[in-house]
Amino acid sequence: MSTSIVEVVNVAREVSWLPWAVQYFFLIGLSVGCFLLTMPWFALRRPAWERASRLALLGALACGLTAPVALLADLHQPGRFLNFYLHPNFGSWMAWGAFFIPLYLGGLALYTWLILRPDLKRLADAGGRWAGVYRAFAYGGHDSLGAIRIAAVLALTGAALVALYTGMEVMVVHARPLWDTPLLPVQFFITAVAGAIGLVLVLDRAIGDGHAAQGAHLLRLLAATQILVLAVGAAWLLLGVTGLSPTHANALAQVAPSSAWQITAVWAAGSAMVTLWLAVRHPAWRLAAGLIALHSAWMMRWTVFIGGQEIPKTGAGYYHDYHLPLGQDGMLGILGTAGLWIAVLIILISVLPWAGQRRVQA
Amino acid sequence: MSDDTLFQSRRAFLRALPAITAGAALPLNSASAAEGKHHWAMLVDVRKCIGCQACTVSCIMENAVPVNSFRTIVSTYAVTQEVDGHTQVGTYVLPRLCNHCDNPPCVPVCPVGATFKRDDGIVVVDGDRCVGCAYCVQACPYDARFINHDTNKADKCTFCAHRVDAGLLPACVETCVGGARIFGDLNDPKGELRRRLDAAKRTEPNAVKVLKPESGTHPNVFYIGLDPRFQGRVEGQAALWRPSEHGG
Repeated sequence: MSTSIVEVVNVAREVSWLPWAVQYFFLIGLSVGCFLLTMPWFALRRPAWERASRLALLGALACGLTAPVALLADLHQPGRFLNFYLHPNFGSWMAWGAFFIPLYLGGLALYTWLILRPDLKRLADAGGRWAGVYRAFAYGGHDSLGAIRIAAVLALTGAALVALYTGMEVMVVHARPLWDTPLLPVQFFITAVAGAIGLVLVLDRAIGDGHAAQGAHLLRLLAATQILVLAVGAAWLLLGVTGLSPTHANALAQVAPSSAWQITAVWAAGSAMVTLWLAVRHPAWRLAAGLIALHSAWMMRWTVFIGGQEIPKTGAGYYHDYHLPLGQDGMLGILGTAGLWIAVLIILISVLPWAGQRRVQA
Repeated sequence: MSDDTLFQSRRAFLRALPAITAGAALPLNSASAAEGKHHWAMLVDVRKCIGCQACTVSCIMENAVPVNSFRTIVSTYAVTQEVDGHTQVGTYVLPRLCNHCDNPPCVPVCPVGATFKRDDGIVVVDGDRCVGCAYCVQACPYDARFINHDTNKADKCTFCAHRVDAGLLPACVETCVGGARIFGDLNDPKGELRRRLDAAKRTEPNAVKVLKPESGTHPNVFYIGLDPRFQGRVEGQAALWRPSEHGG
């Protein structure tokens, strides 16, 4: 008995996690990834990493300060965030996120302050209109590797918890088979680290001296992330195709019939391969590799969140209803977040001795 | 009888009308289930649904549901099938609403505990506490929740809790033309809901079904005449009619 069913009347549920959510997950992921890249120099004192780690610190701060703004915007009324602290439901990963984000950002702020104290004192000693302010923030200007390492552990704990909760928060949504796969948090994390490396490479070209990749093995690390991206992607596909993992099989079954999803998968795999090829064979093209890695990290989140919400839970086919609005719930939100990120970055570059001694001497 | 007396009695009659309406509904729920705790549930007899969408409209009117949003809708499908060499074409209608699950996935994910299950089984949202994060919207396996554009908070069917608390039936039940929706107390063995459920089970052990039973949500919306092809995500061609393309 062959059957064909055409849905004549049904409701198409709108995307309710808006592009703000994509921006948040993208930026907080980049911040966590960048923070990890700061540790080789600031916590472990590997000299070859100094340039990369200093740029990564800027990236961690700019992304970390911008990300929560996108998250608040997704609540439609930012003041509502207070309810996260007044009425927390600790059975929800999202509720834990409200505590992990400040833990991470607080740890990152402390870590940054301890790192910059000596340079803030040098700036103060150099005189100028802001010398008093720098002296106050330097608070003696002591350089304590031990204290930095303690702050690094605090920030690392926060970063690990943020990475964990952002992945788990999405993974536990059983109602969306595409999200409900154990590999999703891993994919979020790897692409975040890859995007962070990409951001450091872009910052190196924009505001650095172009030598951050030297000695720091940034490109080798980027290549490793792309191999992991491809390996995890292949494992996801294999688990789904063979049916070894029912959750992955369900996820694959939801997207496999769609040509749009097929193109997306080819696009993602192709981007990873191009990034890998550039990182390994064409180091001079590291800016392009970095930009593609950044694009892949963003696209992955866009596809998972916006694309994932286009799959009906009960209805037939796909909604295919989403058109990026030009207003604050769409394009304006994306551009606004990007604009805020640039503004925060400019302020950080302008007021912080991020480049260390070289900046102060200059 | 003087005109004045007539006027008074007419006024009294008109004043009493709501109470009479409420009284007509009472035997179905409150009165008959006076003892013990209520466990509200709904039975949808798909065989009796004519797809008129009266429930959809009455729900919108009763609950001031914004344009292009729906707490309940009757999904309508055109089904073509080959049976014994003959092509049969027909329409299948399936009323959908919040399933007021006994194990509701929307409740544990709420970061602020705004969505909860009342003692009588109705799953509701505390609008004062809801932050509009839409986590519950994602977690609902039935696509029954949405963000209300007027309040920017989570919205869903409440079984018309405000009416039920007043001893009335949900608006969709009250207006159902075919009598396809039966609302009542699962704990009331003599109530119509329980009797209809038991009668259906006696006739055919698998007659009563729920949507997506494999999801472990234990819905309190039951269906008679539910075709298994429509029990989960429907395999077919996407909707021909979208509210957003025609309304608002």
